[in-house]
Amino acid sequence: MAGQNLLPAGDYRTTYAADTTIFPTTTSRNMMILGIVLICFAPYVLNEYSLSLLIQIGIFSIAALGLNIVVGFTGQISIGHAAFFGFGAFTSAYLSNHHVPVFFCIPLAGVVTALVGLIFGLPAARLKGLYLAIATLAAQFILLDFFSRAEWFTGGSVPAMAEPFSIFGKTVRGDNQYFYVVLAYVIVCYLLVTNLMRTRDGRALIAVRDHYLSAEIMGINLTKYRTLSFGLAAFFAGVGGALYAHYNQVVSNEGFGIDRSIIFLAMIIIGGLGSIMGTLMGTAFVVLLPESMEWLSAALSGSAIDHALGLKTNISFLREMSIGIIIIIFLIFEPDGLAHRWRQIKAYWKLYPFSH
Amino acid sequence: MTIRNLLATASVAVLLGVSTGAAQAQISIGHLADYSGGTADVGVPFGQAEADAFAWVNKNGGIGGKPVNVDTNDYGYQVPRAIALYKKWSAAGNKVSAILGWGTADTEALKKFVAEDKIPDISGSYSAALTDPTGASGKTEAAPYNFFYGPSYSDALRAELTWAAEDWKAKGKPGKPKYVHMGANHPFPNAPKAAGEALATELGFEVLPPIVFALTPGDYSAQCLTLKSSGANYAYLGNTAGSNISVLNACKAAGVDVQFFGNVWGMDENAAKAAGAAADGVIFPLRTAVAWGANVPGMKTIQEISRVSDPSGTIYRPVHYVAGVCTALYMKEALDWATKNGGATGENVKKAFYQKKDWVPAGLEGVCNPSTWTDKDHRGTLKVDLYRMKVSGDTGASVADLVKNGTIKLEKVKTVDLPRKPEWLGW
Repeated sequence: MAGQNLLPAGDYRTTYAADTTIFPTTTSRNMMILGIVLICFAPYVLNEYSLSLLIQIGIFSIAALGLNIVVGFTGQISIGHAAFFGFGAFTSAYLSNHHVPVFFCIPLAGVVTALVGLIFGLPAARLKGLYLAIATLAAQFILLDFFSRAEWFTGGSVPAMAEPFSIFGKTVRGDNQYFYVVLAYVIVCYLLVTNLMRTRDGRALIAVRDHYLSAEIMGINLTKYRTLSFGLAAFFAGVGGALYAHYNQVVSNEGFGIDRSIIFLAMIIIGGLGSIMGTLMGTAFVVLLPESMEWLSAALSGSAIDHALGLKTNISFLREMSIGIIIIIFLIFEPDGLAHRWRQIKAYWKLYPFSH
Repeated sequence: MTIRNLLATASVAVLLGVSTGAAQAQISIGHLADYSGGTADVGVPFGQAEADAFAWVNKNGGIGGKPVNVDTNDYGYQVPRAIALYKKWSAAGNKVSAILGWGTADTEALKKFVAEDKIPDISGSYSAALTDPTGASGKTEAAPYNFFYGPSYSDALRAELTWAAEDWKAKGKPGKPKYVHMGANHPFPNAPKAAGEALATELGFEVLPPIVFALTPGDYSAQCLTLKSSGANYAYLGNTAGSNISVLNACKAAGVDVQFFGNVWGMDENAAKAAGAAADGVIFPLRTAVAWGANVPGMKTIQEISRVSDPSGTIYRPVHYVAGVCTALYMKEALDWATKNGGATGENVKKAFYQKKDWVPAGLEGVCNPSTWTDKDHRGTLKVDLYRMKVSGDTGASVADLVKNGTIKLEKVKTVDLPRKPEWLGW
């Protein structure tokens, strides 16, 4: 699924380098660079609202990328990802309040969260499937309880404050500046993971997913790689969480519950398990879905349908319900995720008009 | 279409955009409401009241002859969603003149930002941490742009404890009374905890370890058994009515003999109907001078406002609705003053709150309690009216009927006039 390429017949790879290249063609690489350059102009073109959505997509996609390492690439399951996201947020807020420059807080939060992730990943060495799912659920509840009780660390039930991001003594103010911070992290994180998957370790993770017995016979240390995948996942969750903390400058222990963990899973399932590009697409989809539902319900309120059904304030519930329905529809009709659909669209145009 | 045509159309579109932008000198305010979250039981009537009040204001000429643009959003009691909305409201170019806020967690989280951005926030949170505009109390950070109408959670609890101490003496029971704080581990129920426990100790209560129960309705039998075995005499319920009902029911079933008292959100007519006999005897503070349907001049205005969302005029509005109208109309008059005195900027709206002593919004005489805000003290009022919820008989009928036939009755217990102690500011 992951490595599926639609290269034309007769296009052989003659070197290992060519086989593991990130961009199959020069055009695709140039398009990516062009895309990044174009998105750099976003703060000048978009309004605050659209920009804040882009920032959210960026932040959550980093955390979702971490989850995709564990679920999509290593074939484990984690339903406690939001807790790691929260841990990163609180760690970074805590460090920033203790005179660590925010610039260093974010990667540091990633490292600390990775260590916590390694601890909670230990059950993965022994457990599989549903049992592992329940074990990771423990991480969710233990950490969440820790957040609400560890007043020295999180402020307890009172939201913790986080310093704004600053670089070279200059404080980053507003979404149109913070956007670049998030963009830089998105690029770095996605490059890191893309490259990770080209290394021996990355291939080992995929081997564990595809057939753990064969992987073990080939000399892959299952315990090491399963636990490592949790550590890596937590690292990216921590970085995402830290970015989230300094974006909002307030971290409350709400929003890191199991529902958020499920949303992270939804992001990678909708985007495509084991697809790096898909993670970004899935995150964008999941972030934009409630917003578009909000527009829809706003348009609906006061309309004829509203009056006919007597919805009134229940319209806000309509939004929550539609999100669930759309996710179900998606899973039925697009089980391989947006990444797969994207490849099909590309293939369609590549072969047009001779698709068959 | 030629290139020239295209350019012409585009420039016209741009011009139109600019001119409509300039014409929008309209006042905008943000409205944060909880219609679907943990406090929705009381968030719906309060939010509806604020929305209705401004719709009524707009129908009657708006502010400075222009309708107010109220951006109502249900944020589900989630701090992150409140912050996202706040970002929208504080963005340069679309900055709102004021915010009608809601929860304690989000209002306290936004405290620093509204001060930086100079946006007054009149909240549904009555946390005492929002009452110190200068930070001089040393108990909390400065909150120069936070307001609310009514006694703070801490002051309401202080009044209740004052009453409880007298009640204990009057009953002539031996020994020290035992007091316990109950509620979710959340900023809202926790807000008056320290203040309550400090005063309880001072008044000679024995303070028991707090008992935690979630903000959502559920099975709280375990909490009631703890309460029973602890031998508590007075228990403060820090949550909203919805989950308090669960506790009241469970404790009635467990045979707990405790005098409960709640905060302003802890009890209302709908809750009394839902809890039935279990709600009988609960003490709670009423923010307004009267409840729905009372024979005072201001009630006519409230009923007129209520018709915005209930054209039939038959719905019974709980205490939160009445308080919500008061809150909204304080903001309306502040916006009015600001518009006349240099424009509806956040700074002017804040100044407007300091203009009147014993302020009652026009048209609400006899309903809203007189409030006074100063630039050193945002405790609008220290007068706490304590009421007892009386429930006699079956509560199957509609709330309107139950109140009419006296099955549900709000019985006044005592008015506590707390001294304006500087050491009670900010917590």
